[in-house]
Amino acid sequence: MNGSPTSLASPLEVRGVTKLFGDFRAVDDVSFSLPAGSIHGFLGPNGAGKTTTIRMILEIIKPTSGSINVLGHASALEVRQRIGYLPEEKGLYKKMKCWAVIAYFATLKGLSRKAAKQRAFELLERYGLKDFATKPTEALSKGMGQKVQMLASIAHDPEFVILDEPFSGLDPVNQQVMEDIIRDMAKRGRTVLFSTHVMQHAERLCDRILLMAKGRKIFDGTVVEAKRTIPRRVRIETGNDIARLRELSEVVSIRELEATNVAGSPTAAHWELEIRENADPQSILQACFASGIRLRSFNQSDPTLHEVFMRLVGPDAKEATFR
Amino acid sequence: MKYAFLVAWREYAENAKTRGFWLGMILVPTIMFFSSQVPIWLEKKGTPTRYYALVDQSGTLASVIESRLEKLHQRQVLSSIGEYAAKYVEPSSTFKTPPPSSVETFMSSGGAKSYLEQLRPNLKPSAPAFKPPRRAFQVATLPEGVNTNADLATMIGGLRPYLRGEKSVQVDGQWVALSAAILIPRDIESSIVRPQNKSDRPKAGIEYWSGNLADTKLRDEVESSINTEIRRREYLSRGMDAAAIREVEQTFAPFASLNPKKEAGREAVSKTDIIKQWAPSAFVYLLWVSIFAIVQMLLTNIIEEKSNRIIEVLLSSVTPGELMMGKLIGIGAVGLTMVGSWICALFGILTWKAGAAGDVTGQVLEVLKSSNLIPMFSVYFLFGFVMYAALILALGSVCNTLKEAQSYMGVITMVMMVPLMTMTFIPKDPNGLLARVLSWIPIYTPFTMMNRVMADPPWVDVVGTLLLLIVSTTISLWMAGKVFRIGILRTGQPPKLLEMLRWLRR
Repeated sequence: MNGSPTSLASPLEVRGVTKLFGDFRAVDDVSFSLPAGSIHGFLGPNGAGKTTTIRMILEIIKPTSGSINVLGHASALEVRQRIGYLPEEKGLYKKMKCWAVIAYFATLKGLSRKAAKQRAFELLERYGLKDFATKPTEALSKGMGQKVQMLASIAHDPEFVILDEPFSGLDPVNQQVMEDIIRDMAKRGRTVLFSTHVMQHAERLCDRILLMAKGRKIFDGTVVEAKRTIPRRVRIETGNDIARLRELSEVVSIRELEATNVAGSPTAAHWELEIRENADPQSILQACFASGIRLRSFNQSDPTLHEVFMRLVGPDAKEATFR
Repeated sequence: MKYAFLVAWREYAENAKTRGFWLGMILVPTIMFFSSQVPIWLEKKGTPTRYYALVDQSGTLASVIESRLEKLHQRQVLSSIGEYAAKYVEPSSTFKTPPPSSVETFMSSGGAKSYLEQLRPNLKPSAPAFKPPRRAFQVATLPEGVNTNADLATMIGGLRPYLRGEKSVQVDGQWVALSAAILIPRDIESSIVRPQNKSDRPKAGIEYWSGNLADTKLRDEVESSINTEIRRREYLSRGMDAAAIREVEQTFAPFASLNPKKEAGREAVSKTDIIKQWAPSAFVYLLWVSIFAIVQMLLTNIIEEKSNRIIEVLLSSVTPGELMMGKLIGIGAVGLTMVGSWICALFGILTWKAGAAGDVTGQVLEVLKSSNLIPMFSVYFLFGFVMYAALILALGSVCNTLKEAQSYMGVITMVMMVPLMTMTFIPKDPNGLLARVLSWIPIYTPFTMMNRVMADPPWVDVVGTLLLLIVSTTISLWMAGKVFRIGILRTGQPPKLLEMLRWLRR
């Protein structure tokens, strides 16, 4: 079960894929490829074309143009036994027992009936659902049902797993369980592609992210690369004049942030300094000391993925984050 | 195809677990059993002996009524003694004397008692004693205080509480309810209506009092026995020979109903022929009920998967074609199991019931075994199911909720009502225009041809409609496949018919 998957350069290659629904371009000339054995976040606001892309990858729908190569095959159905899929909208057969649902989907992925049953019980036990194994799925809470469905989609130990919004509707504890499942798979050399709206999950889990908006690919690369797409910033709080800092070669621009005064403290302004990509924030700190600027605080945090998302996606992102 | 069978297996296993499935499996045979058994029970136990009071002031008619009712009872005794003999006479015994064919001979030859004496040495050792059937009607002694000489109005005044069930009468030491009173006035002779003096206003005659309006048997027997007697007297008073008249009344010309389609020498229309004419209708009904039930099951099933979005996981593992075939095979097998069990139950009940030769159940069984009813039923069930299932799968795939689907289902139901409505007409004219036209409409072919199966329909109808049915089933399956493939992932408004037609070209 732990055998490493066939070492392929890329479990997924998408080349120039476009999908039209009538006149509507749901996916517009998207190309990307995933390296094997890593976790990929598939990000983008609602309606970005993520689910459509996923459906095309799985050959549930066919692209209008372009080609998709999954695990070295032109058709996902040829390698369906090696792919796992958790759809965005979750549902289970209400009257079926938990183990039976997992085993059924596993048999559809090529496992023998006996092996599928054994695997179902194994997974349910491992992820804390042992007591529910013989209960019908309608007896489960939403979160538990989602976990069962997740287990059903990976019961055949696929090489390549696609998860559409695996975290939605889960409480923090179960979100953690879901993260563990994903990490477990990556550890064993499986490739995971998951879509999400929650940037923290992507930030914690992903090696790489793929960002889409309005049907187009906006970014494709590592998380570090993503963060580099927005300038590095240093935030300082001081009551002194900071005009001298403008003269530094490391500083690109300075803007005053909305003052967040602590009661009782004398007026102190908050400043955000945009610095050059290769600049060392420590040099700013040294410059402050040298110029006699007394700092109340100095903050050199990296941008969050959330900020990256907001910046790259622009006004579309606002809509998405309020959902 | 492997995946289609995996889907089919789940459909079968899951549906076979539902309460509805088992209810359907058990309910129909239970209904069959009771509908064959209840009339027998009712006959044996259901109708209790009815007690009646008889006051004949004229003194001339009571004996007539009593002898008629006695004859009625003896007829029942005769029939049950026949059954008793058929059941308990040792098969190896040489005793071959059947009970007399007419009740008169039976009574004159000593009745049950003398026949049983002949029978006794030839009975199986295990045979129980013969229990004569209960009397249907038994005369009750009049309660005290009823003056049989008073006029009818006074008399009934005294009897009324008994007839209303407020008081009971005693018969053979048992308190029983009086169900009827027959009062014959003294001057009945003068009240007789004769055609020649029609202008006479009908005078008060015999009064039959009973709160039970539904069971008219006693009243009919009483009325008919009195009138027979009155007429006999009338013949006598007019100087006619009553015996001669009776002989005349029993004169008849032999009349036989024959069927030219049967082989020479066996053309007589028997009970079997009547069964043959109507048995197909029963199968049409069975066909209709089973196809309709299964198709409903299919619709709920597909909508569940669609509204649950399970479909998407399924489609990442199987192609829409495999999914559709899987459902068709799985649910079809569920239906087949159900119908198969019904037919087995039918055979079981008939075999168990079929006793003496000439028994209806035995004849029905014989018709089922000897005819092509069952094989044809299987063929028409198969194609009928696949055709309607294809229609339903296509419909189910484009609807998102059961409610949405129900409104379309209404139309399909109406279309499906036609064979049910014509079901009783077609056996009357099985090769007529209506039957032939309906046979050539593929969606009605299974039902109509099933209905005509025993009527030797023209060869061209049998083969032609079957071919057309096969072709149209294939086409509808193909079209359903096209619609299913696109419809199954669709959300939102169901598509317009025109749009669906466009899908067919994709």
